Amino acid sequence: MAVNILIVDDSGVMRSMVQKAMQLSGLAIGEVHQASHGQEGLAALEAHWIDLVIADINMPVMNGEEMIEHMHARPELKAIPTIVISTEGSQTRIERLQSKGVRFIHKPFSPEMIRDTLKDVLGHEVFHERSH
Amino acid sequence: MNAAISARLAEVTMETLERLAFLFASPAPETEAAAESPLETVRVDFTGHFTGGMELALSASVLAELAGNMLGAGEGTTLSTDEQRDALRELANVVCGNMLPAIAGGEHEFNIHTPYLASADGPEWDDPAGLSRLVLENGVCRVRMRVDGGLPQELAATPRNPAGQG
Repeated sequence: MAVNILIVDDSGVMRSMVQKAMQLSGLAIGEVHQASHGQEGLAALEAHWIDLVIADINMPVMNGEEMIEHMHARPELKAIPTIVISTEGSQTRIERLQSKGVRFIHKPFSPEMIRDTLKDVLGHEVFHERSH
Repeated sequence: MNAAISARLAEVTMETLERLAFLFASPAPETEAAAESPLETVRVDFTGHFTGGMELALSASVLAELAGNMLGAGEGTTLSTDEQRDALRELANVVCGNMLPAIAGGEHEFNIHTPYLASADGPEWDDPAGLSRLVLENGVCRVRMRVDGGLPQELAATPRNPAGQG
């Protein structure tokens, strides 16, 4: 099974960095969709089948926390695994997100942090087996 | 200017450059402080426990390397000016996001706004709360922080240790 991913971040460079780290992780990746803020992210969720959402917090128009609140208000979107990748330093805000089942990765991140979190969230079944 | 904030700016910027873009920087000796030439400058404003902004200026000669390293671009690949500036904006975003809890502690919430390129005729920051100058292999980096209305009283004397961040 390949995983369809939505990456929501207002920086195109950061979206590319996240996508590259996911490719390095060995995850079986299907479609990759991108959005530059939460409102675009919600539109992408309407338009495509998404298995995993990766989102920043601080974004224009609609931030990541608001987008996740909208997702949780919708039964068909609530269960989509969501990982926040952000510079967020407020423990209060991080705990608020974690209480909703959201995983958190701090920027700057390493590819290993992305890989380990993806395996925790999605399980090992959706990763390519490595011969070495 | 607050010496503790200046020191935090230097620490956070050096660590971020290294972890985000594999660029190594060190504090600039005073004698090299004036040797700045063409800099690309980004500013990012923030609101929350206190309000202000951070400015990050990087030698134009380092921009291509910054973007190339962040994106893992192969040698000989030329990234566009837009990509290079987006990399600089993201660097400023990450430095700012890590600097605020280093100064204020991890219990306070801040909203970091979208980083933007500073125009040459933009307002000057006459009295920054902190200033750090760093040298890299191929250029320099200058980071300044502005606090509107001053730091909260409990932080004005002794900003938190970075270990206190969340």
